[in-house]
Amino acid sequence: MKIRSNTVNKEGKKRKMGWIIALSIVMVLGIGASVGLSRVFKEHREIKSLPLNRVDFSRLKDGVYIGAYEGGMYKWRENKVQVTVSGGKVADIKLLKASFNSTGTTDPAPLYERVIDRQSLLVDVISGATVTSKGYLQAVENALLQAAE
Amino acid sequence: MSTQAIRRSVRYGMSTVITHGVYGTGAEQALAAAEKETDRLERLLSRFLPGSDVWRINQNAGREPVSVESETMEILKKAVWLAELSRGAFDITIAPLSDIWRAAGQDKAVPDGAAIRRALSFVDYSNLKLDQHAMTAFLPRAGQAVDLGGIAKGVAAGRVLDVFRAYGVASAYTDFGGNVATLGTKPGGAPWTVGIRHPRCEGSIIGTLSVADRSVVTSGDYQRCFLTPAGQRYHHILDVKTGYPTDNGLISVTVISACPLTADALSTALFAAGLEKGARLLKKIPEAHAVFIDTRLNVFISQGLIGNFQSAGQPVKILSF
Repeated sequence: MKIRSNTVNKEGKKRKMGWIIALSIVMVLGIGASVGLSRVFKEHREIKSLPLNRVDFSRLKDGVYIGAYEGGMYKWRENKVQVTVSGGKVADIKLLKASFNSTGTTDPAPLYERVIDRQSLLVDVISGATVTSKGYLQAVENALLQAAE
Repeated sequence: MSTQAIRRSVRYGMSTVITHGVYGTGAEQALAAAEKETDRLERLLSRFLPGSDVWRINQNAGREPVSVESETMEILKKAVWLAELSRGAFDITIAPLSDIWRAAGQDKAVPDGAAIRRALSFVDYSNLKLDQHAMTAFLPRAGQAVDLGGIAKGVAAGRVLDVFRAYGVASAYTDFGGNVATLGTKPGGAPWTVGIRHPRCEGSIIGTLSVADRSVVTSGDYQRCFLTPAGQRYHHILDVKTGYPTDNGLISVTVISACPLTADALSTALFAAGLEKGARLLKKIPEAHAVFIDTRLNVFISQGLIGNFQSAGQPVKILSF
């Protein structure tokens, strides 16, 4: 999945963490926001099952982040959102742009509300995700380095 | 919302990736000490490291009792207790059989029946003689061998949390290749959210558990398995009755326990026992809970997990027995 994004920070500080948060949130929201009604339940499951454990949601930096999701192979799911982090929490999510028209699509607002409600799209750690090859170690390490401040 | 930072460390050890996450001051020292402790345990318990207690027991099988450290004795005793409880579904003397299957995995070819039967004849945890006064361990027949692979990560996870506590850490997790243990809650009192790996979709989870001061260990048929050219899957949890990988309809079992060693051993035992026998076995350890997943991706939870386990979409059934 290719993702493009830009970040606007109220405090003018463009920090790597902000990018990661924005990208992660947008990726999740982007998937959910842009699907047809018939596929929404499947997509909900997919969202719930995405292990976004790279981002420490307890360390969100306040600011307004804009993120975009390219929308997959045919750009069917292209969309752009604005996420406001306030007091360390996701306070508001707005859909800025979507490539799909309203016919046959689902309003993403309830999905956004769920993100705001639960603040818990991530898990802290995954049981049973055994990695037994040294080849994977580098990838794991890189992921965690990004998440660390 | 806490402003504390989490310190993470990732390294390779005990044949897997070990990750720790520690909140609070003193995290750096605690992580360094945890690393040393893990290395020490591996030197004590690995059957592949010459000079380890387990290596010496195996080298002297059929010859003479071997002096072991008191903590090795404690671990062996607990392993035998769990073997008895599970009627051998979990058996630490399974090494001769697992060796054959490990080699088979490299060749992607099923071992022949005669070799399996020969290996099976060496497997019997009740043969292991533990003398607590002389502090010795002994296997009576040459060719027998102890393998603590089914509990060593649990043991290490427990010890790492002990180290964290000794350094004044109140909030941490440790993850030995998917073998998770948590210390306390997250700062601020929220429980840890532990995902259970989806047994058929790598990179996804099938649900989450909220835990504090608990270990969460999953045994799955997707771990250390191989496919034959015909597409048949052979996984690493072996049935000591048949000598073949268990084939009872379960593909993943997760155990939640206050004791990381118990969680580790019990996840293997419940997997090997199957859903019904496993659920009955689980009842013998009231503080432990479990999530079973079958080949149809039905999820079964023990009653203690009602309201705790959050499914990522699969239907959930509650075990009534």
